[in-house]
Amino acid sequence: MSTYVYGFVHDDGSLDEMELSGVGEDAPPVRFVRAHGIAAAVSDAPQGLRAKRRDLAAHQEVLQRLARNHGVLPMRFGAVSEDDDTVAAELGRFADHYSTLLDRLEDRVEFNVKASHVEEAALRTVLGEDEGLRSRNEALRKAGGGTPAERMAFGEQVAQALEELKQRDSGAVVEPLAEHAERTAQGPLVDGCLANVSFLVHRDRAEEFLGEAERLRREFDAYMEVRVNGPLPPYSFVTSPQ
Amino acid sequence: MTVMQQTGGGGGSGDLYEILDLILDKGLVIDVFARVSLVGIELLTVDVRIVVASVDTYLRFAEACNRLDLAASGGAGLPDLLDSGMEKGSRSKSKGALTGAAEAISESFSKGRDEDRDEEKQPAHARRRTSSKRKEEKE
Repeated sequence: MSTYVYGFVHDDGSLDEMELSGVGEDAPPVRFVRAHGIAAAVSDAPQGLRAKRRDLAAHQEVLQRLARNHGVLPMRFGAVSEDDDTVAAELGRFADHYSTLLDRLEDRVEFNVKASHVEEAALRTVLGEDEGLRSRNEALRKAGGGTPAERMAFGEQVAQALEELKQRDSGAVVEPLAEHAERTAQGPLVDGCLANVSFLVHRDRAEEFLGEAERLRREFDAYMEVRVNGPLPPYSFVTSPQ
Repeated sequence: MTVMQQTGGGGGSGDLYEILDLILDKGLVIDVFARVSLVGIELLTVDVRIVVASVDTYLRFAEACNRLDLAASGGAGLPDLLDSGMEKGSRSKSKGALTGAAEAISESFSKGRDEDRDEEKQPAHARRRTSSKRKEEKE
C-alpha cells in the first residue's frame, strides 16, 4: 500500500490526538511516520488518486489544522511514497535540513495576496494616459466599431497597455505589505492578476499585516480588487534538500 | 469590489480556488516520492496566457473601450485616477475580460477532473458569483 504525504512537523505528543482525515473517497485517517524528531503526516494513498476538488480540499485542510499549532513544511499536492519506510528514510536522510527549516518557519504563516484591476477603471486609465489610444478609440467609435481587423488591432494595443499598467501598479500593493513581512515570494501567473505574491509573516504581526491589507483594499477600491488569503501553511517558503 | 478572505477556521473549500496555485505549484517536492498525475491542471497557468492573448479578448477590449463614456466621468483628465482616490462612477460590477479569463480557467478546472462526481460539479465560477453578490450587499 503506498503512502500519501501531506507534510512534515516537529514530532510532539499532541499529534496523535488531532484526528485528521485525508484524501480519498473514504477519507482515511491521517497518521504520523516518525524519524529523527520529525513526523510526517501521511495516510494510505487511495487508488487512482487525481486532483479533485474534494482531495485538494482534504490536503489543504490537514495542513491548515497542523499549522494552527505547529510549524509545518507543506508538500505540494499529490506526493505519494512507495511505503512508510521510504518516508522514514527520507526524514532520516535530510533530518538536518527539515529540522532547520521547521525552526525557521516556526510561528510564521503565509499570506497570499492576489490583486487585479477592475477592468473598466483600468481601461479608463490607459485611454486617459494615451492620446493615441484615445483617438483611435474615438475614430473606431465614429466608424461604428470599424472593421474586425481594425477592432482587433486596437484591442491588442489596449491589451498591451493593460499589461504595462499591471506591472506598474503591482508595486503599489506589494511594497507596503512587504514592510510587515519577513519574506516575499512571487506566485505563479494566474487569473490575469497584476500581483500574485505570498508573504511570510510572523504570527505576532499577522494582525498588523491584515490591517495594512485592509487599508490598501480601501485605498484602491473601485480601481483594483485586492484579495488576501491566510493565514496559510507556508507553501511558498519551503525548499527541498540539496 | 474587494474581498478579504481569512482562511483559518475550517479551512473550508470556499477559499480553495483562490489558493489552488499554491497547493499545486508551491510546497515541497521530494524526488523519491511520485507525484499524482495532474492531467488538465498543469495547464492552469498556460491557459491564462492563451485566454488573455486570444482574438476574443482583443475584440472584447476594443468593444469595452468603444462603450466607455469618457466624458461622463471627467473626460481625458484620467491619468490621475490613482491619485484622485478612484472614480466613483464606476460602480458597474459587470465582469470584464480579465475576470472572464479567470472564469474560463476555473471552468476548465472543474471540467478537467470532476466528470465522475456530483459534489464536485459545483463550478468555481458559481461560487464566485455568489461571493460577488455578497460583496454588493455589503456596499
